[in-house]
Amino acid sequence: MTEIAGKLFTWINTRLPIVNTFERHLSKHPVPSKVNFWYLFGALAAVTLIIQVVTGIWLIMPYSNTEEQAFSSIEYIMRDVDYGWVIRYMHTTGASLFFAVVYLHMFRGLLYGSYQKPKELVWIFGCTIYLAMMAEGFLGYVLPYGQMSYWGAQVIISLFGAIPYIGESLELWVRGDYYISGITVSRFFALHVVALPLVLIALVFLHLVALHEVGAGNPEGVDIEEHLDDDGVPLDSVPFFPYKVLNALVAIGVFMTVFSIIMFFFPEGGGYFIEMANFQEANPLVTPDHIAPVWYYAPFYTMLRAIPDPLGGLIVMASAVAIFFIVPWLDRSKVASIRYKGIYSKIAITMFGVSFLTLGYLGTVGVTEVRKTMSVICTIIYFAYFLLMPIYTKYETTKEVPERL
Amino acid sequence: MISMANCFQIISKGIVLFILLFFFNEMYAAEGGPCKDYGECDKFQYSLNDIESLQRGASTYINYCYGCHSLKYSRWGRVAKDLQIPEDIFFENLVFDKSIKPGDLMVGAMPEDSANWFGVEPPDLTLVSRYKGDDWIYSYLRAYYEDSSKQYGVNNLVYPGTAMPNVLMSLQGNQRLVCKDVPVLARNGGEKRDDFGNTIFKEKCGFLEVRDGTGILTREEFDTLIYDLTNFLVYVGEPSKATRERIGWYVVFYFLIFTALSSLLYREYHKDYNK
Repeated sequence: MTEIAGKLFTWINTRLPIVNTFERHLSKHPVPSKVNFWYLFGALAAVTLIIQVVTGIWLIMPYSNTEEQAFSSIEYIMRDVDYGWVIRYMHTTGASLFFAVVYLHMFRGLLYGSYQKPKELVWIFGCTIYLAMMAEGFLGYVLPYGQMSYWGAQVIISLFGAIPYIGESLELWVRGDYYISGITVSRFFALHVVALPLVLIALVFLHLVALHEVGAGNPEGVDIEEHLDDDGVPLDSVPFFPYKVLNALVAIGVFMTVFSIIMFFFPEGGGYFIEMANFQEANPLVTPDHIAPVWYYAPFYTMLRAIPDPLGGLIVMASAVAIFFIVPWLDRSKVASIRYKGIYSKIAITMFGVSFLTLGYLGTVGVTEVRKTMSVICTIIYFAYFLLMPIYTKYETTKEVPERL
Repeated sequence: MISMANCFQIISKGIVLFILLFFFNEMYAAEGGPCKDYGECDKFQYSLNDIESLQRGASTYINYCYGCHSLKYSRWGRVAKDLQIPEDIFFENLVFDKSIKPGDLMVGAMPEDSANWFGVEPPDLTLVSRYKGDDWIYSYLRAYYEDSSKQYGVNNLVYPGTAMPNVLMSLQGNQRLVCKDVPVLARNGGEKRDDFGNTIFKEKCGFLEVRDGTGILTREEFDTLIYDLTNFLVYVGEPSKATRERIGWYVVFYFLIFTALSSLLYREYHKDYNK
């Protein structure tokens, strides 16, 4: 029996490079021997993606993408489908935590220069994943067809209307109707469950292939490829299996503990993960008192609101995301890691972090005069971090990077 | 001389301090709460394992509320099962329409033109505890007061101008807004006194008070009734909530063990390269 299985495997392996690929990209893939916790969020993002895909497939089965039934089918899942609530809460919690780990993963990139030569493409694929995630998250949020789904979609789709000349027709084309309706829901459903997941998975594949080509970074910013052993393996590296796998396993354990605490005890996340108004069915005649996006879009929503002109707001919001793509060319530093960069970089990244969090807070609360001023200040700091980067990274004194890890 | 770096540092510290001040200010910013004129909502702590409370709440709901407010996402049989009421007793006593089967949704008993009765169609309340919150319901149902300017002679502090009459008035009695002499508070939080050491009083209005002898229930009994009713609405808003919180402990415990074991294993392998 084992003999036959062995033969079959050899037959396949001579036609499909299973062992080779497995060894090259998983078991024997060399990774830096010393990394810190910041380097674990990529693995966690992968785990969350898998959770989203699997729970998503199961949610499609009982969900109904019609105007009349979208909302009640969610309640059907929550009540009548056996353990439907587990699947649904995994998906909602997963969505928020997906963004949380991706934000931390991106911040890691900024901290340790994970975009610097030759990792520009890894970074760009990553930014594109983030862009696709934002679209995916938005489309998914519309599907339960609650009040916030409806009015959130109303706000976001009307943004297209701010584009000169083609705006109005574009808005109509996206919505598929003169107002948000069952037609919008069913096309968003198609995009959410088929189109964007395909794009996301393809991008994740490219992100990983590009990463494995250039090698993973480390918090010291040391190029481990400089010192190889006789077999051409970096001296400061360990094989992916079992070292990196076990490291990731601990992280997954911690992450899943947090995940289950949220999903079993605080699934609404205090109104930030599932907004209270979304437990009311969409009603085109009643605007909720306070339209707030889910927390992961909040920083960008604040920027949109900070600018009085709709088109200006749209441009600022879009640039806030787009600017990430050119970071590899904004950073002129000789060193990659924040550990060896100068004082300007350290101050700049702290200010960026503080302003991003403040923008996030501001996006979830109502507008007052003070908050409006604060939004403008934080938006300026946000952009200053990127736009001044070529200057402060070039003219600061950096520390000497060690030869080895 | 101040260098560029120092200057930069000072400016950023200033901005961070400014942001901190902003958040400090935010903490004390007075923002209208969900309970409007009532002030802070009363805190409600659900107890979904108190089956008797849920049973009493269900009974109150079906007798006083269900006539107008459906629970259209919930099923009769599920409520009977979750509240541990034997189906025959449940259907005998709480289901008035004999054609209803356990699998049917609780779609309510209002005719189509009900909007004409109150100006608005009485909303479905299956999810009210989720979009209004349990604190809100618990406060709202206890905040009715006499107001002859309104259609049904009552108004509500939590929901001024509410379209719903006080259905539970016979139980609660006639509640009205009264003014009372209350001690004036000094800056240190204590009562303010005059030169002779007597507490200074000041008239303050907006207190709810039930006229003696107008209600069937005492104040405590009525509060318990509303507690049970709110508890039932929390249950019906998410019937799996009790199960969720119960099995949650097992799942969290499982992942804690998982984390402990995997970190032990990781440490064992870590020794290989971290000598």
